[in-house]
Amino acid sequence: MSSDRAKLLSSALKRLTKRPTTIMEVCGTHTVSIFRQGLRSLFPEDLKLISGPGCPVCVTPQGEIDGAVELATRKNVVMATYGDMMRVPGSNGTLGELRGSGSDVRVVLSAMETLRMAEEMPHKEIVFLAVGFETTAPATAALMIEARKRKLENLSVLCLHKRVPPALEVLSKADGNRVDGFLLPGHVAVILGHEPFKFIPEKHGIACTVAGFEADEIMLALVDLLEQIGENRPSLTSRYEKAVRPEGNVKAVDLMDRVFDTSTSAWRGIGPIDASGMSIKEEYSLWDGSRKFDVAVRNVPEPKGCRCGEILSGTITPKECPLFGTGCTPVNPIGPCMVSSEGTCSAWYRYGRKGDLKWES
Amino acid sequence: MGKLNLGQGSGGRLTSELIGKFKAQFDDVNVQRDLEDCTMISPEWAVTIDGFTVSPMDFPGGNIGKLAICGGTNDLAVRGIEPKFVTLSVIAEEGLNEEELLRYGRSAASVCHELEVKLAAGDTKVVPRGTVDGLFLTVASMGQPLAKPLGMERIKPGDRLAVTTSIGRHGATIGSIRFDLNVEGLSSDCAPLWPLVKPLAVLPGVRAMRDCTRGGLGTTLCEWAEGTGLGIEVDESSIPIDEGVSSVCDILGFDPLHLACEGCALIAYSPDDEDRIIEILRSHPSGIQATSIGTVVEGHPSMVGMKTEAGGMRVVDMPVGELLPRIC
Repeated sequence: MSSDRAKLLSSALKRLTKRPTTIMEVCGTHTVSIFRQGLRSLFPEDLKLISGPGCPVCVTPQGEIDGAVELATRKNVVMATYGDMMRVPGSNGTLGELRGSGSDVRVVLSAMETLRMAEEMPHKEIVFLAVGFETTAPATAALMIEARKRKLENLSVLCLHKRVPPALEVLSKADGNRVDGFLLPGHVAVILGHEPFKFIPEKHGIACTVAGFEADEIMLALVDLLEQIGENRPSLTSRYEKAVRPEGNVKAVDLMDRVFDTSTSAWRGIGPIDASGMSIKEEYSLWDGSRKFDVAVRNVPEPKGCRCGEILSGTITPKECPLFGTGCTPVNPIGPCMVSSEGTCSAWYRYGRKGDLKWES
Repeated sequence: MGKLNLGQGSGGRLTSELIGKFKAQFDDVNVQRDLEDCTMISPEWAVTIDGFTVSPMDFPGGNIGKLAICGGTNDLAVRGIEPKFVTLSVIAEEGLNEEELLRYGRSAASVCHELEVKLAAGDTKVVPRGTVDGLFLTVASMGQPLAKPLGMERIKPGDRLAVTTSIGRHGATIGSIRFDLNVEGLSSDCAPLWPLVKPLAVLPGVRAMRDCTRGGLGTTLCEWAEGTGLGIEVDESSIPIDEGVSSVCDILGFDPLHLACEGCALIAYSPDDEDRIIEILRSHPSGIQATSIGTVVEGHPSMVGMKTEAGGMRVVDMPVGELLPRIC
């Protein structure tokens, strides 16, 4: 985006922000993108952006992390997962620390990499720790379908996937909800399309726009939201037309439907949410790591003083958490929002901890 | 104080903290008081040492042998020190192909020839399989200054900053191989800096240089801001970043500012000399992408700000921990 266009969009935002307005960017990638592109300095003071539950690492409860960490310590297990999971603190350390102690924990970029690992190490048990929303779940489903086809019995999935729309339902109807609009997650919408989000304006009267991740896509989406709010006509619009088809990616949704059932799932700081989880269907039970290894998921209380739950639901900003930047830092994270590169606290720490800067020279 | 983790070796904030703690053990006998890339041990001689481990050992643009001599001598070059001698310690894993080891040796020797640097001492060990990852090379380099050594204590408000080439190419190349990304045209910037920066070492207007290795340009800028107590402002649109590097960063969620370079220097200089310095750099094949990227300021002390392409302003900080690919 040229700085002329940025100025134009910035003045549009200023013109359209007629009262204090709060927008939740649901997706962690939006949070990081807004900070990294310095967009906060282009927003009017009355326009406040808060981060939502859109970082999959952050919303994974401690009990599930503990279960994964425990499984990774078992003899003969090779655990493979996405990079961000390596540093999430469980009650007894992180997967990264386990790797340092000799456990075989590996970072993969795609679920499919574990197929090769299973074939190359027939005497090991490869467990894919599957985390993420509708963006990564189709790949996990495809992995399981392929593993079943190849009869790879030493490969299994510890499934911690979650669905985004049910979490937005909870936030939309929450008492004291102070969100005027949702900047909807572009990557999730690529898979699901528009339909699963329409209930937000129709049922709850909250403005919604699907946004991409470039500066002008985010700014344009905010213009859309402010217009909806100003004219009091909440609807669902999209500023990510280049990637999102209204019907979504039918093939990806079909993959998920073939492998997963919906189930109640616990979200860190928010609690159990109906239909927000993905449990592995009976016909894939041989590849369900949770059943295969009888992984126990206990109800573990949040670390003392950690307010990640309130941050994930947009009730407070990271700077309002007394641990932010003191007891809880990316070096020694206490809560998950400080761990993941997409985490709200981590983004605030990296880009906003030292304060805002003005261009001098 | 727990067990070491990979984040402590990735060149950002954790690495700085670990180095600080380790150095403290040597307080009584340490002559390296500043945080420069090499140390003057007498008015005539400077010395530095660096260990090299890279997986894979062959990569587009170089290999561990070339990397070791480039990296070892670049730490001298950026202080305006002409590299003269290197020593080389080889720790090889049982099972490594002998011809492969000799090939890395030939690459290292070829850089020595180019720089007219002599090998002064060496040591070779073969250790049991599993105790090292293939091959570790450690290079100590010695050299002599052409003029007063450059260093960050010379940096002043108003000084301009330039990079000698596009950033992040080494880190992006290694990352793309590790994560099986096939990025056409992407190769490491691994190169000796001395032939490029030698003409600058004698220019009074040049204040300081740094090669942006682990932690990348972003960390180097932060080290200067924190080391001098001055503010730094850079303009994102002026920082050269190759398309392949941008692609890798987009896919993995990395910030190109934090990716390692192995043949790119950051230079601080008087604004009066800007045209001359950029012209000198661009006249060398390794410096054709050289460009000015920002200014040293008195405001926001010890902080680095970046004017983004979108016209906003944001803080640049050191990366914390191991760079890991994002999840969504």
